[in-house]
Amino acid sequence: MADETKNPETVTVTIDGVQIEVPKGTTILDAAARVGVDVLHYCYHEGLSAPAQCRMCLVEVEKAPKLMPACVTTVADGNVILTQSEKALKSREGTLEFYLVNHPLDCPVCDQSGECKLQDYVSEEGRAMGRLREPKRVFGRDDFGGDVLYEGDRCIMCTRCVRFMREVAQDERLSIVSRGSRNVIDTFFDEGLGGNIWADNVIDICPVGALVSKDFLHKARAWDLDRVPSVCPNCSQGCNITLQTRDNEVMRLKPRPNEEVNSFWMCDYGRLNYSWINRKGRIEAPLVREGGRMVPMSWSDTLLRLAEAAKVASGGVRAVVSPFLSNEDLGAARRLVDALGGGEGVYRSAKGEEVVLPGFPALALREDRAANVKGAELFGFTRTGDGAGKGGLEVAGAHGGVLVVVGDDLEDAPADFGAGAGLFVYVGHVLSPAARNAHFVLPATTFAEMEGTFTNVNYRVQRFWPALQVPGMARPTWQVLGVLLAGLLGGAVPATPEQAFEGLAELRAEFSGIRYADLGAHGRPLPQLGQLAEAAGD
Amino acid sequence: MSVNDKNPGFAGDTGEFPNLTEADIRGTAYVGTRPLDGGHASVAGTMPYQLATRGPAEGPIFTGPYEERLAKVISRYPDRQAALLPALHIAHEVRGYVSPEAMEEVAERLQLPPAYVRGVTTFYTMYNLQPLGKYLIQVCTNISCNLCGGEDVLHAFLEATGTEMGEVSADGLYTVIEVECLGACGFPTAVQINERYFENVKPADVPTILEQLR
Amino acid sequence: MAYPYSHPSEVRILSKYFGDPEARTLKGWEARGGYQGLRKALGMERGDVVNEVKTSGLRGRGGAGFPTGVKWSFMPKDSGKPHFLLCNADESEPGTFKDRELMRWTPHQLIEGCLIGAYAIQASHAYIYIRGEFFEPAQILARAIEEAYAAGYAGKDVIGSGVTLDITLHLGAGAYICGEETGLMNSLEGRRGEPRVKPPFPAVSGAFAKPTTINNVETLCTVPHILTNGGAWYRQWGTEKSTGTKLFCVSGHIARPGNYEMPLGFNFKEFLYDVCGGIPNDRKLKAVIPGGSSVPIMAADEIDVPMDYEGFVAAGTMLGAGSVIVMDETTDIIRQVGRMVDFYSHESCGQCTPCREGTTWASKIYRRIRAGFGTEDDLQTLLDISDNMTGKTICVLSDSCAAPIVSSIQKFRDEYLAVVERSEPVVAEIA
Repeated sequence: MADETKNPETVTVTIDGVQIEVPKGTTILDAAARVGVDVLHYCYHEGLSAPAQCRMCLVEVEKAPKLMPACVTTVADGNVILTQSEKALKSREGTLEFYLVNHPLDCPVCDQSGECKLQDYVSEEGRAMGRLREPKRVFGRDDFGGDVLYEGDRCIMCTRCVRFMREVAQDERLSIVSRGSRNVIDTFFDEGLGGNIWADNVIDICPVGALVSKDFLHKARAWDLDRVPSVCPNCSQGCNITLQTRDNEVMRLKPRPNEEVNSFWMCDYGRLNYSWINRKGRIEAPLVREGGRMVPMSWSDTLLRLAEAAKVASGGVRAVVSPFLSNEDLGAARRLVDALGGGEGVYRSAKGEEVVLPGFPALALREDRAANVKGAELFGFTRTGDGAGKGGLEVAGAHGGVLVVVGDDLEDAPADFGAGAGLFVYVGHVLSPAARNAHFVLPATTFAEMEGTFTNVNYRVQRFWPALQVPGMARPTWQVLGVLLAGLLGGAVPATPEQAFEGLAELRAEFSGIRYADLGAHGRPLPQLGQLAEAAGD
Repeated sequence: MSVNDKNPGFAGDTGEFPNLTEADIRGTAYVGTRPLDGGHASVAGTMPYQLATRGPAEGPIFTGPYEERLAKVISRYPDRQAALLPALHIAHEVRGYVSPEAMEEVAERLQLPPAYVRGVTTFYTMYNLQPLGKYLIQVCTNISCNLCGGEDVLHAFLEATGTEMGEVSADGLYTVIEVECLGACGFPTAVQINERYFENVKPADVPTILEQLR
Repeated sequence: MAYPYSHPSEVRILSKYFGDPEARTLKGWEARGGYQGLRKALGMERGDVVNEVKTSGLRGRGGAGFPTGVKWSFMPKDSGKPHFLLCNADESEPGTFKDRELMRWTPHQLIEGCLIGAYAIQASHAYIYIRGEFFEPAQILARAIEEAYAAGYAGKDVIGSGVTLDITLHLGAGAYICGEETGLMNSLEGRRGEPRVKPPFPAVSGAFAKPTTINNVETLCTVPHILTNGGAWYRQWGTEKSTGTKLFCVSGHIARPGNYEMPLGFNFKEFLYDVCGGIPNDRKLKAVIPGGSSVPIMAADEIDVPMDYEGFVAAGTMLGAGSVIVMDETTDIIRQVGRMVDFYSHESCGQCTPCREGTTWASKIYRRIRAGFGTEDDLQTLLDISDNMTGKTICVLSDSCAAPIVSSIQKFRDEYLAVVERSEPVVAEIA
């Protein structure tokens, strides 16, 4: 019966009793995933070639004389595949026992513990008691340079790291050295991995604790970490990441797969550049200048006073914003500038060399070392300052009218920056000497403490979520400025990040082409104006 | 007196061939002397790699006839990588072992990553990674030779050279190691000394063999 | 005579000139009827050459016994890609020493076989991958290849046929696993000699990702004779399924060790006792491995079988490469099996975990048992390790390691028990 409607491009197979139709050429592993069956594996990784050497994914295919490696065996029509048969289970149990022959079982001091595939699989399917009575081989530890440390005894020889360096980084600095049970992973003697900014990805893909980060070494246990989806803030590529925190502190950044942006990877520059997110000494309350003093006040008092001051301010606006702000923040800053009579707005961004990942060239460490340069430009801010993201503040700093600084820490600004402004509003995170010249200091959250969106170098809009507690009374910039704008102009205050996002379409028509709810965890490309017109024409 | 008493280590007196000379068996006259540049390109990659006399001890490896030989080897394959084993053999022939510097030179010549070259080099047991004695004595102790006393022959060599397994003798002449099956199981014990096979070796033959090497 | 020993029961086709130094040279080989097979082949359609070999029933002599003509017919027709013929001269299965004799006595026999094989499968280049330790045979073969080029048997326009047939001699560097066909391909390509996952099969994507056929030295050496005399001629020896003759390498505790070219189907017991002269020193046979260290061991009372592919399989073992290792009653089975396990552990490429770890673990257990610290439980552990590394890996190296373990524990269990019963408890090692 089924044959009458047979699609020549698909095959029908049964996996653990569940029938499914899949495209021809699908591997058993992928077909199993479609019916929710997770076939255990070590060497297979979606972003790499499949050598089928870990032998964990062997499954029984009825009528086949041997167990078949699910990662490279394509399904044939009518296959009956059993991942939990006695033979398959015995094979996995045996192979897991082999993995432990030389493994040091040093889970208590291993950073991978808790997220280790060897630990997971052995506890799920391994033998209850080991039978090994022989001494174990000892290799010890090897510093691979950069951030990478190799613990040879924990290595299970899956060769994911070797394949990553060969196929993706295309800088083949890792190799299996020696043969058989003497195999170790090594670099060319002292050459190491240093200087290759993609090297830390080998730590991510290592299924066990053989490759560990020196930066993260013995810093936290995996099970104590909270993981929040986010976007790497450190360049305009916008790699999808998880912010991993413990006790309200970012411990590490890990890439989160997104085939459109960063595949499974991210660069070491972005990954290791997180200490600023944990910066202490944050402004925790709104401050209002009274005479020579900065006086903490409630939000309502502060914003009422600010609205009053803004209404009488004159002399035009100069604004300095940060390319680390969200789209919603930048939109609110743009509205504020316009509401106060309009004027020039600038942003500053450090620049560096662009470094492309050869095996996935859509990913590069971008020249602009800030997440939302494109967002700043979309909302009408122009670049100033030098390649280090410094300087360029002369015009704004000497402005006699209204000066609005949003998100820029002003750390390199001269001490008299904004001293001559008629009204100086500072919305930010820390109180640098220049910020102390402000009449109003409004504490804002960083991207890690709030929900919002960035626009990446390719005009892709991507969401991030709050991972850290808000310091004191700090609030998202869009919210602070939204209340202020309502006070100045009347109208509604956006109550949610979604509402703030929806308001962006009034400033840039492109944003009318995407809905916040559709952004999901992987974002959406921002339609260009031409595309929008075309769509409207249809 | 059999030939073996005077000249032990080749199977000249074996079986029904009492009159075959060592040259007959080894094909010495037929082979002649292969030129350093490798001769015909089809066979340029197959010079003996482990010789008592070696090339220049310093400087680049692939110069003069060695460079010519490498070029011939490369010409026989669809890509340069395929010349890796022959290139390492040349490096070994010239220096007697494959040093990190030699791996780098090979990598550069074949446009391969040095780490890759190291990975390949270390896979193969014939590429020695440190200097050895002038004579590398490899004694088969795998099953067929073992049944016929291979381990005794090994110990005889160790004793006669005064070395531990793998170390260089004090006079720099000998390194004795155990080796897996040499494919001469019908002539136990099989021993390979540099490029030459010695067959039917008994412990009593060991002093004579060492004497004749000098 | 055939070097080193001969016997009237032999049928010497390949080994006829073993011990005859004159046969090495091109002139000598031509005088002995050499290169007639090549001349004949080049006058035939390629498909007819394949069919002639199919007719002969010749099966691969490297160990697997796959019909050679059928293997050749798997090669695509007019694929538009270069094809390659590889000759596996990486002879390194313990107990095997036939290819070395073939190459050092009759190099032109192999060259002729390679040229015919390459022509048959539409390859214009044949690589002979010879194990690195075989310097001396390689020098002889190198000289012979130079002669073949000079005489126009190899290169462009082979003996006026218009066909290009190149041969390159390639030296290995010390790795048993390069005798596995895909490991050999990786090694030839300048990689670690790690076997490849199949599919793709070599006929589709082999050496340099091109259609490739790989044949053993002995197989290719047989081909010229089949071409010269016809496939039907070859079938006069052997059995219906195991046709022709085969070199058997006999080593270990045997009176007259060496290579014997026997018609397949000859009685194994008669072979050992009559042809090879039996066990020396008036000792009794204890065990024999009929096909190289990778095949199950036979006990002394199991040897009354025909020496062919089917006969050995029926006896629970395999013909393999025809490498007969004889062990007399004084043999310490545990020591010899342990030595074989050491070998497989040393030669495991290390890709697949069951092999990398299983062979090494088993090797350590054998060492412990031999050191006097074994227990009866170890036998069960060894059997289970063997099961867990059989049929679980990319190639069959670990299966080969398991074969002697399992067969020796089955057949010589008492010997194991005697050793472990004498053993100290393991704690004694620590105390």
